[in-house]
Amino acid sequence: MKLPRKLALAASALAGVHFAALAAGFLAPYGPTEQSRAWPYAPPTRLHFFDEEGHVHLRPFVYPLADDETRAGGYREDRSQRFPIRFLVRSPATLGGPGEGWRLFGVDEPARVFLLGTDGFGRDQLSRLLHGARISLFAGLLATGISLGLGWVLGTVAGFYGRWTDTLLMRAADVFLALPWLYLLFAVRAVLPLHLSADQAFLMLVLVIGLVDWARPARLVRGLVLSARERNYVLAARGFGASDLYLVRRHIAPQTFGVLLTQAALLVPQYILAEVTLSFLGLGVAEPVPSWGNMLAALQRYHVLSSYWWMWAPGLALVPVFLSYSALSEALHSRVGPASP
Amino acid sequence: MSDEPLVTIRGLTKRYRRRAAASSAPVEALAGVDLTIERGRVLALVGESGSGKSTLARCLVRLEEPTSGEIHYEGTEVCSLRGEALRAFRERVQLLFQDSAAALSPRLTASEIVSEPLEILGRGDAAQRRRRALELMETVGLSSAEADRRPLDLSGGQRQRLAIARALALKPRLLILDEAFAGLDASIQAQVAAVLQDLRRREGLTYLCISHDLALMSVFADEVAILFEGRIVERAEAARLFAAPAHFHTRALVAAVLSVPPLAEATATS
Amino acid sequence: MARLARRALHGLFVLFGVSVLSFVLVELAPGDFYAEMRLDPRISEATVRALRARHGLDRPLPERYLRWVASLARGELGYSFAYGTPVAPLLWPRLRNTLLLTGTATAAAWALAIPIGVWWASARGPAVRRSLSVLMATLLAIPDILLALALLLLAVRTGWFPAGGMTSVGYEQLSRAARFRDVVSHLVLPASALVLCVLPALTRHVRASMASTLEAPFVQAARGHGIPEWRVVFGHALPAAANPLVSLFGLSVATLTSMSLLVEIVMSWPGLGPLLLEAILARDFHLVLGLVLASTVLLLAGNVLADVLLLAADPRIRAEET
Repeated sequence: MKLPRKLALAASALAGVHFAALAAGFLAPYGPTEQSRAWPYAPPTRLHFFDEEGHVHLRPFVYPLADDETRAGGYREDRSQRFPIRFLVRSPATLGGPGEGWRLFGVDEPARVFLLGTDGFGRDQLSRLLHGARISLFAGLLATGISLGLGWVLGTVAGFYGRWTDTLLMRAADVFLALPWLYLLFAVRAVLPLHLSADQAFLMLVLVIGLVDWARPARLVRGLVLSARERNYVLAARGFGASDLYLVRRHIAPQTFGVLLTQAALLVPQYILAEVTLSFLGLGVAEPVPSWGNMLAALQRYHVLSSYWWMWAPGLALVPVFLSYSALSEALHSRVGPASP
Repeated sequence: MSDEPLVTIRGLTKRYRRRAAASSAPVEALAGVDLTIERGRVLALVGESGSGKSTLARCLVRLEEPTSGEIHYEGTEVCSLRGEALRAFRERVQLLFQDSAAALSPRLTASEIVSEPLEILGRGDAAQRRRRALELMETVGLSSAEADRRPLDLSGGQRQRLAIARALALKPRLLILDEAFAGLDASIQAQVAAVLQDLRRREGLTYLCISHDLALMSVFADEVAILFEGRIVERAEAARLFAAPAHFHTRALVAAVLSVPPLAEATATS
Repeated sequence: MARLARRALHGLFVLFGVSVLSFVLVELAPGDFYAEMRLDPRISEATVRALRARHGLDRPLPERYLRWVASLARGELGYSFAYGTPVAPLLWPRLRNTLLLTGTATAAAWALAIPIGVWWASARGPAVRRSLSVLMATLLAIPDILLALALLLLAVRTGWFPAGGMTSVGYEQLSRAARFRDVVSHLVLPASALVLCVLPALTRHVRASMASTLEAPFVQAARGHGIPEWRVVFGHALPAAANPLVSLFGLSVATLTSMSLLVEIVMSWPGLGPLLLEAILARDFHLVLGLVLASTVLLLAGNVLADVLLLAADPRIRAEET
């Protein structure tokens, strides 16, 4: 059966990406804010297995970068020296780096291994991509948790107690849903201080994105709770003197979990994109802390946009993440049922 | 047995306001019902759909609140009960729902369903509850092999018996059977009727049996009351009702019954 | 018509709710426009206070809300401190431009989604269905920001389309026809970005709706009568499948309006989006308020349009009305 295999593939891809993000300090060869001022906009370093004489080396090596005199701002490989890739390198504390510790791989000075090139400040893009993943991917996950949590509580309360509570909450939901989502997000962002530290910004993003979008999950849950509430076995339990809390816990809540899971798979990519958008426009996590959003902001300059293809990495990295979530939501959908009533 | 009726209902009225309709005229589901239920007997409440039968049943077990009127159970006024007194009352009177599949949670196993009332009231630990559940299942003729199966894996008759077992968990004195036989095949109806009659004799229960099936009630119940447009219009011993129906609606119902004797024979054998 | 009237009333109520929500939100903001000014030692405290008093910033909240509503009634929508003018004159041209962009994108998206979706649903060979499925799934996974940037790259590299903006330099000197062509050439890329973003979801829904309708007995019957396939599909099946699609129309307007915010900024299309960003950065809250309300009005208008379409398309709903 194709479905479980696709699901397994998507799930492992996502797990891999999230693990890589968490292990960024180890996997990344350089610190996220570590600058190599001599090498702005350096293209990705090529790994070689064959040297000038045609000998093969089992361990890949790199050539150090040198300025290309023929082109302004260009680089060439200095073939006079070879620097092999070293694995499990012990790295000293560097300015702006994650501190002293082990790294998966690196090269000796003065060579550099920029597998995804550098940006305008000479910062290794691969390292920034890995560290930035922490912010972008987890902001999406946490915001989804908040949104679904709040939506679930309000939807259950509205559906279970009905009448005035229900009317009040659903009217409030109408108001929130009347605003185009991104505009609402921006409006809430507008009223918060512009300049926040990275931690504050992350927290702010998660809270704002999560709290603003409670209305859709709430509506969904409310519908389910309304129909579950009228089931005869719920009435029977009530007839035995069951408290409201018991009814919700034992009979009603379990009906909602499947749908919540499906919704989660749909919301996470949306919220990741929200963080990326906000940071891209300078309203989210600010420099120098990397997030996929603020890394993409460099592309707003035309010469970066068209000349330095490696700067697209954060945007391109989103595609497999979204594909995986998409496959996940499809798989859940067919197992659980539709996500929308 | 005392001569006092178990339940006395006086002037019970229930009005609904219909949401969707533009007209504000409320629907009167019950329009002043007067009824007594004698101890240890089976009283059938017969009426067509919309006559208010289920509403009456729900008011009796406090799943719904009547607009006005009184319900007395063993002398105590039921509609004003709260808290501990209400909980105690709920143990005395139980309602059996019509659609057994809908009345049993599809996620729970049979023994979990039967022991749920005990769980809700916090009686005994898990092991004790399971023992009691198996006992109850045995009473209604379900083997312990069914204990871990889910309702959807059981037959209609087994489900109905499971619902009865659950209703018995708190040792009620009065069982209200809301269309307990509807949707069941004739042979299953006979089975369920047999279980119910047996239980009544052994435990000294009282039944209020709500149905639209006058023919079936005439052999299952001792007395039959006819509910028409929210009021009791006639009440008599089953045989007499059939022989000499007084109210025009009763006459219509009797006339609609196609054949009585074969059904009587089928249930008489159990 | 009663239904439409009820919906319009509901819309007004919602708009009121949105205005209150936004206003309260803005009031919660720490500091106002003049907070920056207060930090400047050259400007005396008294001056700042006077400025605030002049614009009524020191009044209690309900009074401020009422003053704002009054200015709304006057057609001003509050006062923009950054631009020094009432908000309304800043909004109208932007609203018009956003409407132009989203309107074109909506029309184009549906004009493409329906034929593609119908083709997808009625295609006999699995190859067509598979490839469309893969194409749409891939397109769905590409975020709008990436699409917009990619199209911008296309413009910069090839020069086939202008890379941003709505009009070229020297626009005023052009003839009517030339001006029209100029705007259209600027419109192509941002509209394409929006269309590509929303197309996968739309075609999927069209396909799903059509697929279930094509199995219906009345369609089989039509085929059995010997009616040509294209007629069956477009004349019989599509109208029946239209109902859920019309509800989707309202949703597509919402999504497009939301997405247009980013696309406008990236491609420098002078709509509500770029102005909102400026207003946020300048902490010009009345302007933010006005822009948010304008976007809500767009959305509500789209929903009303969807309702009108539903009324026109589904005879069952029409019958309910009479």
